[in-house]
Amino acid sequence: MTAATPDLGLRSRSGFWLAGYSSMLRFEMRNLRTYLTIGLAIQVLLGAGMALMYGFYFGEVDQDQWAFLVTGIPTLALIPIGFVMVPNAIMEHKLKDTYDYVWSLPVPRSASAIATSTIFTVLAIPGTVIALVIAAISYDVEMSISWSVLPAVVFTSVTATSVGYAVGHAVPEPRVISLITNVVMFAVLLFSPIVVAIGQFPDWWAAVHRILPFWHMSVVIRAGLTDGLLTSPLTASYGALVAWAVASWLVAAWVVGRRR
Amino acid sequence: MLRWEIVGSRLLYPLLFISQALVGAGFVIGFGLLIPDLDQSAAQYLSTGAVVMSLILGGLIVTPQLLAQQKMQGSYDYVWSMPVPRSAASLASTTMAAVVAIPGIVAALAVAVWRYDVVLSVDVAVVPAFLLTVACGSLIGSAVGHAVSKPQVTLLFTQLGIFFIIGFSPVSFPVERLPGWLATVHQYLPLHHMAIAVRSSLTEGLVEMTLLSWIVLSLWTFVAGAVTGAILLRRR
Repeated sequence: MTAATPDLGLRSRSGFWLAGYSSMLRFEMRNLRTYLTIGLAIQVLLGAGMALMYGFYFGEVDQDQWAFLVTGIPTLALIPIGFVMVPNAIMEHKLKDTYDYVWSLPVPRSASAIATSTIFTVLAIPGTVIALVIAAISYDVEMSISWSVLPAVVFTSVTATSVGYAVGHAVPEPRVISLITNVVMFAVLLFSPIVVAIGQFPDWWAAVHRILPFWHMSVVIRAGLTDGLLTSPLTASYGALVAWAVASWLVAAWVVGRRR
Repeated sequence: MLRWEIVGSRLLYPLLFISQALVGAGFVIGFGLLIPDLDQSAAQYLSTGAVVMSLILGGLIVTPQLLAQQKMQGSYDYVWSMPVPRSAASLASTTMAAVVAIPGIVAALAVAVWRYDVVLSVDVAVVPAFLLTVACGSLIGSAVGHAVSKPQVTLLFTQLGIFFIIGFSPVSFPVERLPGWLATVHQYLPLHHMAIAVRSSLTEGLVEMTLLSWIVLSLWTFVAGAVTGAILLRRR
């Protein structure tokens, strides 16, 4: 990525990077403001709505199952932001032909990339909290929230936005991106052990989910919200999330840093 | 006009075919995975619910989306300028909605029988039940697609529609699980009655079709047809 940084030799490197970062923050903020409001609405609708909806489908289940469902909701609310909204936002740049314009701005590309991730991470928080609160109230689930929920949410959100960012940049065709995001949402909502225990799934499918990031996201967040619902080592899940994030950065760095 | 529909959407329909089949099967398998201790009646609800969704998604969701797309592209007026009766054009899109529903229905039922050993007992009511459900969904879809002039509003309607149908309608689970007020609302909407019609014609002992459901469904179909007709016949 350093290759893409214009070395003007006039300003200090870190100062230049920070200035670029903060202007890109403001730029993306303005650029995405309608988008972000919609995002909040989607999160609340999807998060809280899915909580109620799964409830209708589940019928009679015990209190532990409800606790599982409720503590899976924050994960469900975070995933669409990273996996759907981020690639769509990038796709919109491509469709509106502003994609090359953004890269032509005199800021380091890494500053621009991290600014995008920051905005989506921060803005994912309120919707997630609202969805969780609604879900907890509707099923009367008591949670024991510990400080570890903070890193859990940050890791989840950063991993989700990173993967979305890499997909958005790496896939050239907007229609393929929208296909991918649709398939991901379908898989997440129906085929992922986020609101139910992974033991309920067939072995081979559970094995796939030990590699995919979705289940790990729900594990770390659930660990921060409950006591005793956890059956798998936390470090492994954090490790998996970090691996996914780093891999996405590498892909993104390669795509973004490459000269055309 | 049927040929026009087919040619105009030749790229879309194969995709729709495949995605309908995948969604139909995926829906049954996916919820089957999620629902703890899936029993026979829950599996029956799921699979017949997937059938209902296949029947209405084409007409209720895809038709208005296509109309919205035509309006955005500016080809909407062009289609109406063609020398065919407008009713023929509308009927052609309803026919396509019915055809597109087939793979979803087959996939959902096949998966249900194969994975959950669901017992199906098909009776003759299946014919009017399916036809009325397709016609009702499709006519409501085209009524919305034609009546709403802003394509964005139509798209919003379809998005919320999917969410509402899957999540908050007693299509794939018993109506008793809904909160009372929502259950009451569904007495007046067509979805619940579509589900009863289809479910009672495919299974035994789960639900009984009532005269009331036939009446409500026919009424919706008639009103939606009348609205569509009124809009199409109006001169501008």
